[in-house]
Formats: sequence, C-alpha cells, structure tokens
Amino acid sequence: MTDQANLERGYRRLLAWYPRAFRQENGQEILAVLMACAPDGQRRPGLAASADLIRSGLWMRLRPNVPRSAPTVRAAVQLMYTGAAVTTLSLIIAIISLAHIGRSAAGLRLAGHSQPVPVAVTVGIVVGLVLIALWLWMARAISQGRNWARILSTVLFSLATLHLFGNKGVFEVVFALLTWLIGMAAVWLLWRPTSAAFFKPQGSTQVRQSA
Amino acid sequence: MILTALANGSQHGYGIITDVREISDGRVRLRAGTLYTALDRLCADELIAVDREEIVDGRLRRYYRLTPTGTKRLGAEAARLQAHATAALTRLNLAGGMAT
Repeated sequence: MTDQANLERGYRRLLAWYPRAFRQENGQEILAVLMACAPDGQRRPGLAASADLIRSGLWMRLRPNVPRSAPTVRAAVQLMYTGAAVTTLSLIIAIISLAHIGRSAAGLRLAGHSQPVPVAVTVGIVVGLVLIALWLWMARAISQGRNWARILSTVLFSLATLHLFGNKGVFEVVFALLTWLIGMAAVWLLWRPTSAAFFKPQGSTQVRQSA
Repeated sequence: MILTALANGSQHGYGIITDVREISDGRVRLRAGTLYTALDRLCADELIAVDREEIVDGRLRRYYRLTPTGTKRLGAEAARLQAHATAALTRLNLAGGMAT
C-alpha cells in the first residue's frame, strides 16, 4: 500500500468521529483538504491533525442543534453543556484531592463513612460520571425537541434540589450550588412560553433535527 | 478570518486555509476539522453559502462565497476593529508618541 493510501485510510478512520450525516455531506471534501495539506511522504495522520479532527467531530455530535427561532431552548441546551463541564471540573478536582489524601493517609477511613477510601472514591467517580452523562443526555434529547426530556430534566432538577441540602464541606456546597443554579436557569428557560412551540406532543408531524 | 478570506470572491476549503495563513502573516494555521466546523456554522447563520462544486482529480471541491448578510457583518466588524485601532493609536500618541 502506498504512503498516500495509508494516509487516506488513517484520515477516513478519524472522520468516523463526525456524525454520519455530516460525513456524507462533507467527508470527501474534508478528506481532499487533508490530503492537500499533507506534505509529501507523510504516511499517517499527525498528532495535531488527529486531535483537531476528533475534537471537531465530537463537537459536531454534541453541539446544540437548536434553530435560532427557539433562543430560550438554545440557551437552555448551552447551559446544560455548561453544567456537564462544571460537573467534569468538580470531578477532576475531587479526584486530585482524594488522590492527595489517599497518599498521605493510606488505609484511613473517611470520617463518618464505613467504607474504606478506595470504595468511597470509586462510588464518587461513578456518581460523577453518571451526572455528566445525564447532563449530556438531556442536552442532546432537548436539542432534538423531545418533550419527555423537558419533563425528565425538571424531575432531575427537583431531585438535585433535595440533594442540595445533604452536601457537606465548602467545596461540595459551592459546586452543588453552582450546578443547581445552572439547572434552575435551564429548567426555567425550558418552560418559558417561547420554548413551548419547539416541543410538540409525540406523534406530531414536527420534523426532528438529528445530530 | 474566514469571512475576510472570502471577501475577494469564492474559495474552496484548501484555498481558505492558505489565504488565512497569508492574511495573518503565518500566525493562524487553520486545520481542516476546525475549518469545516466553522464553515458549517457560518452556513447555518447564513453568512456564507456554497457557490459551486467541482470535481478535481476525482475529489469534490466545494466553493464558498459571502452572502449579503455575511458581507454586511464583515464590514461592520472591520469598521469596529478600525475604530478600536484608531482609538488605541490616538491615545498612545497623546500619552507621549509611543505609537510612532
């Protein structure tokens, strides 16, 4: 196989990060540009080009896909992605902090908890990942006009409100309050009269946008 | 930058990348992934549109052009930047001719 064929195959694999519809529309064109930008003799995609394609492909999959005619829904979806980002940040900080505690006090048990530190850390990471997944799932479903997602988001926000009073420690309270405020703003926007037209009952003829 | 690259007429993806590099004096190097994400957004915002498509060496080449809205937006942004630059230069001159 020639260098060029190897390179093209590598780029085609990376283009799989994009949504299928976008790939069908623009894949050949992007591939042509990638090949034109590659220096002679290059056999595989470079690190920077690979990272750029993966990042762009993921963004095309996750970006708010709400028309400008529904600005309140657009803002709500953007807030949900912000919520996911804040939750990710809090999870990273928590992991770093717990890793530090774990090093200095290996084998100790967390105050007030019966589980050893590694179990508590694992549970915390799993809960954090589930919360991030929920933010992303709701944002995606809402951007596709799913009315059930609007209702489920409101239920999840209510549960988060109940959980808000169970947090201890400055770090936990600050991040819980921040994500709660983001959630409240998103839910408020979703139930604005201007958002109603974007959501229609199931079985309607509304054309759903797909990412 | 992409709008500026299209101000002279329609261009294809690779042409935009090389033009942006030239306009920015080599400081901005657009990558294909970033470019097509931006082109998709600019098309959705109706600032640019597909002008025509060609097949060159068996590969698709799509040309993009500014729409009237895009031309207006680019003009407004250029005027804003010019006003900002003029204000900065004026203040530097008033402060002791540093901008000479």
